[in-house]
Amino acid sequence: MSEIVLMRNFDRADSHTLAAYRQTGGYTAWEKAQSMAPAAIIDEIKQSKLRGLGGAGFPTGTKWSFIPQGHQGPVYLVINADEGEPGTFKDRYLLERDPHALVEGMLITMRAIRGAKGFVYIRGEYVQPHRVFSDAVREAYEAGILGHGYDIVVHRGAGAYICGEETGLISSLEGKKGWPKLKPPFPAIKGAFGSPTIVNNVETISCVPPILNRGAAWFAALGSATQGGTRMYSVSGRVKRPGVYEASCAVTLRQLIYDYAGGVSASGRLKAVVPGGSSSAVLSADQIDVTMDVDGLMKVGSMIGSAGVIVMDESVSMPQALMVLTRFYAHESCGQCTPCRETTGWIHKMVSRVVHGEGRKEDLDTILDVARRASGTTICAFYDGAVGPYISYVEKFRSEFEALIPK
Amino acid sequence: MTPTLGAPSSPSPTAVAFSPEQVAEVRRLQSLYPDPRGALLMVLHMAQDTFGYISLETEAYVAGLFNLAPAHVHEVVTFYTMYFQKPKGRHVLGICHNLSCFLAGAPSIIAHAQERLGIDVGETTPDGRITLQSVECLCACEHAPMMQVDDRYEFDLTPDKVDGLLRALP
Amino acid sequence: MLKLTINGKEIEVAPGTNLVEAAHQAGAEVPHYCYHPGLSIAGQCRLCMVEIEKNPKLQIGCNTQAAEGMVVHTESERVVDTRRSIMEFHLVNHPLDCPVCDQAGECWLQIYYMRHGLYDSRMTDEKVHKPKAVPLGPHVMLDAERCILCSRCVRFCDEITHTGELGIFNRGDHSEIGLFPGQDLTNKYSANVVDICPVGALTDRDFRFQVRVWYLDTAKSICTGCARGCNIDVHVNRRRMHHAHGRRVARLKPRFNAEVNHWWLCDEGRYGFGFVDEANRVKVPTRREGDREVEIDWDEAVAAITDLLGRHNADEIGIIASPKMANEDLAAVRRLAERRGLRHVGFRVPPRTAGYEDDFLIRADKNPNTRGAELIGLDGDTAAVLAAARGGRLRCLWVFDHDLFDSAWPEAEVEAALRGITTVIWTGTNANRTSAVAHLVLPAAAWVEREGTFTNFQGRVQRFRAALDPLASALPEWDLVGRVLAAMGDTPIPARAEQWFAEAVRGVPAFAGMTYRSVGDTGQMADVEQAVRR
Repeated sequence: MSEIVLMRNFDRADSHTLAAYRQTGGYTAWEKAQSMAPAAIIDEIKQSKLRGLGGAGFPTGTKWSFIPQGHQGPVYLVINADEGEPGTFKDRYLLERDPHALVEGMLITMRAIRGAKGFVYIRGEYVQPHRVFSDAVREAYEAGILGHGYDIVVHRGAGAYICGEETGLISSLEGKKGWPKLKPPFPAIKGAFGSPTIVNNVETISCVPPILNRGAAWFAALGSATQGGTRMYSVSGRVKRPGVYEASCAVTLRQLIYDYAGGVSASGRLKAVVPGGSSSAVLSADQIDVTMDVDGLMKVGSMIGSAGVIVMDESVSMPQALMVLTRFYAHESCGQCTPCRETTGWIHKMVSRVVHGEGRKEDLDTILDVARRASGTTICAFYDGAVGPYISYVEKFRSEFEALIPK
Repeated sequence: MTPTLGAPSSPSPTAVAFSPEQVAEVRRLQSLYPDPRGALLMVLHMAQDTFGYISLETEAYVAGLFNLAPAHVHEVVTFYTMYFQKPKGRHVLGICHNLSCFLAGAPSIIAHAQERLGIDVGETTPDGRITLQSVECLCACEHAPMMQVDDRYEFDLTPDKVDGLLRALP
Repeated sequence: MLKLTINGKEIEVAPGTNLVEAAHQAGAEVPHYCYHPGLSIAGQCRLCMVEIEKNPKLQIGCNTQAAEGMVVHTESERVVDTRRSIMEFHLVNHPLDCPVCDQAGECWLQIYYMRHGLYDSRMTDEKVHKPKAVPLGPHVMLDAERCILCSRCVRFCDEITHTGELGIFNRGDHSEIGLFPGQDLTNKYSANVVDICPVGALTDRDFRFQVRVWYLDTAKSICTGCARGCNIDVHVNRRRMHHAHGRRVARLKPRFNAEVNHWWLCDEGRYGFGFVDEANRVKVPTRREGDREVEIDWDEAVAAITDLLGRHNADEIGIIASPKMANEDLAAVRRLAERRGLRHVGFRVPPRTAGYEDDFLIRADKNPNTRGAELIGLDGDTAAVLAAARGGRLRCLWVFDHDLFDSAWPEAEVEAALRGITTVIWTGTNANRTSAVAHLVLPAAAWVEREGTFTNFQGRVQRFRAALDPLASALPEWDLVGRVLAAMGDTPIPARAEQWFAEAVRGVPAFAGMTYRSVGDTGQMADVEQAVRR
């Protein structure tokens, strides 16, 4: 078991308070950062090998460095707390149990990117996390931590998975439908309200204070060769101890399932695992000896995504599981791009038909062909995320689907 | 050619209106964003809390507060799942039906709630007490099956627990 | 300028040119739905994918700017294959109801399917159902099932008219365009959304089900609704008139002109052609005999006018020409006035109410050729002409087109003036209160029934072509006036509009050097400053 960084205070009943945060060294990293040049902070983050923990896994320091040098006018930091990837529940814990880590991380990040205003976009259903985090922001203002050149606005979503996509989130923050935006321009050039914007996940920014306090080298060493640090793995489904577990980015999926989450429940026999939230390609039982970092999962044709692990045992019907997900993607497609809008619904209809015993023998090939043809053709990554399950479930568990199709 | 053919149509006179304090809150929220429109989602939440749901009249009223065309507010209201366009029950149950909850028996929890309430998903009990929904992932999968009851999450649902929760709702 | 290669052809384009436009310059058409050069880039139809060397993913052409040295392929196997897939996705929930769709024949789903699709439908499930035949306003009908959600109409109302009536509601495959419930699409440019709708989702309520588009004939023309002179195409139904109860003009469509109207046309202009086929069209020359109107032939009419103009002193003859007449007609009138030495000549009749005007296209002056009439030199004092008539000093007044009663002049004054005149000659297209009291009524061809030029408020001379034959015995005014001049012994008399235009050019310094050819399809600016200098 590796060092606990992000969840170190979770056991304290008052972990969400400023007092508790200060007692455990809170806001010392911010003090340190204030004596550092913005470029030095970015450099430190680059060297820490911190990568985005929301889904895309992009190197964080590199992202920050995309803000145009010498830009006149506002630069915004937007925190993606629109946690919504099925199987993921880590940001909820961070918002409720260590909100000041995010506030402090935001302060440091704003200094690094020369921004004075941060927005925290919290999904609308997270009423309690929103309350707790808003209270923390109020405390920080009252203590004079915020308000001296740095402001944080807490924003609520209203129910739309697509707002977890960074430009969909920006549209939503601007008071519009959560339609992702065309790239270019990228948010770092023209983001929220037309200004350069960095969008980072809650957990990513919560890693920033410890990095500054203890050094990039220390953080990098916690993880794998290409991804520094520990991260919070959400483990659910058919495991004995579902929950959020902090572990090194070099942890294996097998360790997470058996060592952390207590092993497979129900039949006890592993059938399949979603490794990084529902949008990652499902792995079969023989693929779990992979490291749970960006590169490890890429090697097996999946992705670490938001590190939401969903375990399925032998008794799970894979066609039914896929139907749950095809319904989800059809429901959450924002409707902007034709391929996604039209085929998420179509594929759901085909999968449902198969599950209900009304499939036709050509359906499975049609699903695969349509998914492949539409992938890579849309504005945002939502559709490619849907294609992960579409293709992997049908390909890896094809005989289960075929068994449901009348001869 | 930069035409200005007139401002967006203003809402018709309406019975829907915020109190002066609420209007002040609207203006405060608008001032937090570089473009006041940023506060639209927050103000729609306020409107729903105040008026129970977001009627077309409410949309037109809010459009007026933002100097937006009502169609653009309607786009937003119809896009997000948390805005109710029709009156809802005094309580809203949203039972998660996504993968982890599905694996933990969400379908039977939903069936149980439907049977107990005598309504289908998407409906409201005739006495206006409860609206039942099945919803996408609420990101509390470690406590599957789970649901949202108004503002709070309820975890590790069983039929018995659902019964108890239903009984406790006024 | 920067150089790039498209389909092996090296071209130069201006910085900022997107790849759809650049490909067009290279002679390659990249199919697209949501892209429209007059609107912001939406990038949502995903049809205009092109392959750019060294870029692993296909890119949409509309949102990719040409760059120096870029090598682009718009017809590679990968592009063609992807395009075919995107076409299939566009039709997943489309009702495929071409036989009953008014857009058939000019539908970009049909056109691109034939060019780039040609697959068998694999979608066998129930399609998503949406509202059909929904009137959005006085002019536009929506079929949401046919809509491919390209958002052009939404962007038009947001970006061009700034009225924001339309939106895309809901999400996923339940997304649909629509109005805020209870609101109508009533902005003054509403029907442009029909033009820019690439499919049969938005159709024109006036045109709907009148005639299949493949039976239409087209002529390039100019809108006569106001002094802007928007460039238009006149679509006429000559081949299936029984389908439209004898209505010949099927519709007007805006024609692109970067200097005048871009892609757009106001509703008032678009639907302002009704008079052409109205029942009150004047069809044959008539002479009043007591209470009766007697049909006469043109020879008789011309002889009568020639006689009148010869019989009276020049001081006893007045002409009120019209800013609705073409430059050619006005040139003929000018020659007539010069030959007879007439001084009671003008063209302005003040409108009863000031016309609506905005800062986009619509002008307060509801006449297409006020500027031309000014330049040709007919801008005499019409109020003085009327006063002369009231004073009993006029024997003969020739009114072109106007209804003097429908003006800012007090009715009593007009009545007194007309009563004081021995012979009122009236020429125009549609009967009115002035023609009702005229002694000679002569049918004029409507602008779509003849050719000519108008000079718009900017001083831009623009040609319009004949789309139809003149109704019954109607003649272009230049022809009628020319016949009178011929009867008066004047020579040579131009036999074609183009020759009258040449005469106008000779007489108007601002028109110097112009010919029909130089005016072309997009018009030519008169040297208005030169006119002022003189």
